[in-house]
Amino acid sequence: MAGFDRFPQATGMTMAPSYHPEIGIAMAESVQFPRQGSEYVPLPSGSTGNRVLAHTVQTIATTPEQAYALYSRPETLHIWQEGLVSVTQTGDRTMHWVMEDPTTRKQVEFDVEVVEAVEGVRHVSRILNGPFAGTEDTVTFETHPAGRGTIVRWVSNYAMPGGVVTKIASSILSRGPQQLVIENLRHLKQLLEAGEIPSVEGQPAGPRGVMGQWKRFLMGENMPTPPGTSDRSRPQDLPKHSEGPNAWVVGGVAVAAAAGAWYGVRKLIED
Amino acid sequence: MKAICWMGTGKVEVQAVDDPKIINPSDAILRVTRTAICGSDLHLYDGYIPTMESGDILGHEFMGIVEEVGSEVKNLKKGDRVVVPFTIACGSCLFCKKDLWSLCDNTNPNARVCEQFYGYSGSALFGYSHIYGGFAGGQAQYVRVPFADVGPIKIESGIDDEKVLFLSDIYPTGYQGAENANIQPGDNVAVWGAGPVGLFAAASAYMLGAEKVFVIDRFPERLELARNYCGATTIDYSDGKSIVEALRDLTGGVGPDGCIDAVGMEAHGTDVTALYDKVEQGLMLETDRPTVLRQIFQAARKGGNVSIPGVYGGALNKLNFGAAFGKGLNLKMGQTNMHKYLKPLLEKVEAGQIDPSFLISHRIGIQDVPEMYKVWRDKKDRVTKIVIDPWRETGIDRLHVA
Repeated sequence: MAGFDRFPQATGMTMAPSYHPEIGIAMAESVQFPRQGSEYVPLPSGSTGNRVLAHTVQTIATTPEQAYALYSRPETLHIWQEGLVSVTQTGDRTMHWVMEDPTTRKQVEFDVEVVEAVEGVRHVSRILNGPFAGTEDTVTFETHPAGRGTIVRWVSNYAMPGGVVTKIASSILSRGPQQLVIENLRHLKQLLEAGEIPSVEGQPAGPRGVMGQWKRFLMGENMPTPPGTSDRSRPQDLPKHSEGPNAWVVGGVAVAAAAGAWYGVRKLIED
Repeated sequence: MKAICWMGTGKVEVQAVDDPKIINPSDAILRVTRTAICGSDLHLYDGYIPTMESGDILGHEFMGIVEEVGSEVKNLKKGDRVVVPFTIACGSCLFCKKDLWSLCDNTNPNARVCEQFYGYSGSALFGYSHIYGGFAGGQAQYVRVPFADVGPIKIESGIDDEKVLFLSDIYPTGYQGAENANIQPGDNVAVWGAGPVGLFAAASAYMLGAEKVFVIDRFPERLELARNYCGATTIDYSDGKSIVEALRDLTGGVGPDGCIDAVGMEAHGTDVTALYDKVEQGLMLETDRPTVLRQIFQAARKGGNVSIPGVYGGALNKLNFGAAFGKGLNLKMGQTNMHKYLKPLLEKVEAGQIDPSFLISHRIGIQDVPEMYKVWRDKKDRVTKIVIDPWRETGIDRLHVA
């Protein structure tokens, strides 16, 4: 498909179970007990002060090198990351990013430094200035033990002015930090596996009406899909969603409805 | 172009909308030559699938002629005649490679919505709500088909459209329904529902080696098709007879080896639980009416196989799961892995083993569609399957084969 080398697909388990003729059950020959297990350690998440931690994980049917290459290539970041207008290389390890909030159309610019770059293994970058200065993205690439490709783990440590309040507001009005990192890694996977990012933007439809527009907003369909390998070069080249309701009005209604519902629930409990 | 749009619960309209255009490089645009109304479209029509938006173009059973292809399409060209599977798959992810095409990782633009409901998202579907991607459907004069090298199957013989149209959904769905019942030679198989999927499941059960097939419904024209085309023994429950008892009697006191629920979330029932479901559904305390599953859990033989091609959307109440556990039933369900079945089932049609057009009762023009949705929902006019010629304005051909 379009533009990216494809990884030979997974061939199955590396340790296939075998059939034991005497016992009559399938078993893996090399398994012996006692056997040391491990305890689940959650990946970072949550909010403190102006820091918001978000993470996501995907298994992508490609090699760690290919996943790393697409993730770390500045000139193609805007085709798969949401809200990214352009990235310009300014030095060996520095870039200048221009982002746009798709709901408010407000642009923000900042410089990004690559802190650590181990090809096919780990990539760490940090925002140097602007409103999100100090935000750090750590992405690791690990070969799937059963040959299904690459496990990619992405942890974003956001520095957000306003912290939790901004996080909640951005979740309502556009994409919250947790969902943003989820969607971005999903798009990376779609591009690497399918060769494009699926989209329904610009397809025909009948009149949406007020309820239709409201549902589109609630389901986050007001967020432009990054262009992927389509002819659209930038998200803002997409058809304008002029029929969409004003974001602040929708946000206000949502907050009022939530407050009303909370008041009602408390009243019920108190009664 | 003209398209059939969902405009609210119980309301579909013919709308003039823009023609579709290529959005991604693997897209194709089809001029639709035949499309159909599916039983599962009624779940949308009746408002039981919550993520529909006014203006959505309906339709997931369609075929047509390729008008235009994107820059990355290699297998199709303008003028090719194709049938399009209703599930949209990328062909490259782990699930597609495992033949689980309906669980494709990469085609649902609204995967996040599906993840909120189901944990993980399956593939996108044409014209079937925004939880499944919000793709415009094929009850229209033109349609955009993403991943055009992966899904559509070319029809290279001169066979009639209406003999191959149902490869788009109901024939493979019925076939997978039978396959999921793990039928062994000599098995007794019971099929709930003699709608299109149930009829194809009954026929497919025989193809897979069933000894006897029983079909349960209450509409005479559907039961006639089950008896006279599919060769099934029919059970008409409209008089309130016990289906569990009927199946016990018909299987020598053992129960059916395979049970297929070709009804799904809007089941009709005659007992008190059916009334209970209506009330609960009305109060939004449950989303689906699991009458058929309750009967299956009682009727199936111990260790039997339960296959569920009927669509379920959400929460079911008062389902005796202890019966399924206590009898060691095997359950298998899900959207159809369409791409797996297209070629082998087309071969059966072209070889003359089955003529899928046997169940068509109405052929209509595009302006007739809103009214025929009501007929389809209310099971009037001996309707068994409606096909649409989207280029004919109006005119209803009644093909009462039953």
